[in-house]
This record gives sequence, C-alpha cells and structure tokens, in this order.
Amino acid sequence: MKTMRRVTILCIFIARLTVTPLLCEQPKPLASSPAAAIEVDMIQAGEISLPAEFQVAVYENLVQELQRQGGFSQVYRDGDRNAANASGLVVLHTTVIGFKQGSELKRDVTTVGGATSITIHCQFTDKEGKVLLERDITGKVRLIGDNLKATDDFAKGAATVAQETLSSNSSLSNPKKSGYKNVI
Amino acid sequence: MKLSRIILWPLVIVLGTLTSLCPAQQPPPAPASIEAVQVIGLAGVKQNTKGSLKVENGSLTFASSKKTCEVPAASIQDVVTGADSQRVIGGTVGTLSRLAPYGGGTALSLLRSKVDIITIQYRDPDGGLHGAIFTMPLGKAESIKQALLAQGAHASIPSQAKSNSDSALQSEAMEQTN
Repeated sequence: MKTMRRVTILCIFIARLTVTPLLCEQPKPLASSPAAAIEVDMIQAGEISLPAEFQVAVYENLVQELQRQGGFSQVYRDGDRNAANASGLVVLHTTVIGFKQGSELKRDVTTVGGATSITIHCQFTDKEGKVLLERDITGKVRLIGDNLKATDDFAKGAATVAQETLSSNSSLSNPKKSGYKNVI
Repeated sequence: MKLSRIILWPLVIVLGTLTSLCPAQQPPPAPASIEAVQVIGLAGVKQNTKGSLKVENGSLTFASSKKTCEVPAASIQDVVTGADSQRVIGGTVGTLSRLAPYGGGTALSLLRSKVDIITIQYRDPDGGLHGAIFTMPLGKAESIKQALLAQGAHASIPSQAKSNSDSALQSEAMEQTN
C-alpha cells in the first residue's frame, strides 16, 4: 500500500515536471533576430490587373507608414543602393491576390454597397531570400473616403504586422494583437 | 533641250511651294502650368496638396504655396494616365455635409466632377523607386505625358497621340502592301 502511494506520488511529480515547462512556454519570435532595417519592393500585380494609381499608392503608403510607426531604424525603397550595406535587413515583397474596385458614389448613396478592397500577399525575407514571415493582408474602404483609401488601410495593417513581429523594438510575436494569421 | 527646261522649271516651283506649305514636324508644345492636386508621393509634400504642375527644362515641377518639388524627366521610368471622378465638395466640409438632414448629404455627393489622373514612377539619385499621383482637370493629363516623354521620360504604355499616329502609319503600310 505504501509502495503504491509512493509510486503514484512519483508519477504525479514526474508528470508535473514535464507539463509545467510546456505550459509556461513563451511564443517564439518568427525572425531569428530583430531586424533593424526594411526594404520595400514595388508591389507586383501578379495575375490581377491593378490600376497604376493603386500600385503606386500601396507602395508609397507602405513606405510612409513604416517610417511613421518607427519600428525600423531605416526604411529603404525598392532599388536603393544603400540597402546593400544595411545589417539585419528584411525585404518586403508584395503581390496582389485580390482586388475589387468599388465606387465612392455608390458608397455615398447606398452606404452599404460599393466597397473597395485589396488583398495583398506579403512576404518578408532576409537578404539571402529566406522567408521569415508570410501573411495575407486586406485593406478596405467601406463608407467614407475615396477608393485609394483602401491602400492606406492595407499599409497600416502591413506596417503593424512588420513592427510587431520583425522590428528591433517589437514586443515579441503577437499575431492576436495585429489580428492577422500567419500563413507559414 | 528647251522643252525639258520648260517642264523642269514649273516642277521645281510646284515642289518648292508644296514643301514650304507642309508643316514642319515639331515636338508638341509644353503645356503651361496647370492646376493639379498631388495625391501622394512627392517627398516633403503633404497628401492631397493643391498646386500647379508644369513640364519645363527637362523636369516635372510641382509648386504648392509651401513647397516646390522637381523631378527630372530623365529619371521617370513610367508615366500612366487615367480618369476618375471626385466629389465637388470634398475634404472636411464634404465629410460633414454627409450629416445634412433630409438626404441632403446624399444629394451633395451626387455632384461629382471628372478628373484626369497621372501616375509617375521615378528613381532618386540613390536608385530608390518613388511613385507619385496627381489629379487634374479632364483632358490635361495626356498633354503632360506627351511633354514628359518629349523631355526624356519613359512610359510602359505609349502616349495616345503617338499610338494613334503609329496605328495610322501601320494602316497606311497595310494598304500599300494590299
């Protein structure tokens, strides 16, 4: 009886030792080390035809938003020669995977229809091309604003994701905070 | 001998007259500065800033009340024109007007004006890619594009005037071959 009790206590003790570290495990950051700089590549239209103004607006809003949020010490543009010497550089590649051009007039009149939405596949890689993070991010304008406002909405989402997961002052990966799910 | 001279002289005179009458092929005149809105893209210029846009001395110049910005035409990689419409009453007043009673806001939003859009992509001295979007009154974008192309800018889609003349030449060539 005594031996039985001892064995049971020992089993419980071993089980606790095994389970406790698993329960207390913190989510690991996706990037091996925080990035100090980011280079934004021009958006690729892919198979979807995207008007030139949307293409440029997505790119410019993304650069401005990354600069504004201040997660990275340097934000380089596509083709910037200075990026080659940057340490801890992350490259952001973007491809359009969904685009619906709505109508501002329809939004004004109906208040329910005419939404513009743009879904972009964002791939963050290191200098060598190793994928660090992939996410699909959507930008929308549902009621107030012109169609290009959807690109601003997208840029805010993408910059938040980049800052929270990859930047040098990110508070570790927290996908719940940004509301976007990891693709990989 | 005399007969050939008699034939030659009128021929020379007629040819000379015709040549002088033919208009010389000159590049399209650069448009004077036009009212435009810089939607996004120029360094140091706020979004949706009103100003004037002109092409001269090999560069595209946007001048607002606070700042003047120049983009060398040779650094422009692509120029694309488009069209859209916008609310006549925009900005904060336009947003507040939505709250007007008895559907007044909706009625105001129906008042729209058509605009031309010109989108450019250019490289800075470090090779960094920039993009800029301008809106302007209808029918002005194509002339700006032509002026930019004449001063060394590049375009993925040729300008409308050039493509029209090219297609006319092609159709003439087709007729000649047929």
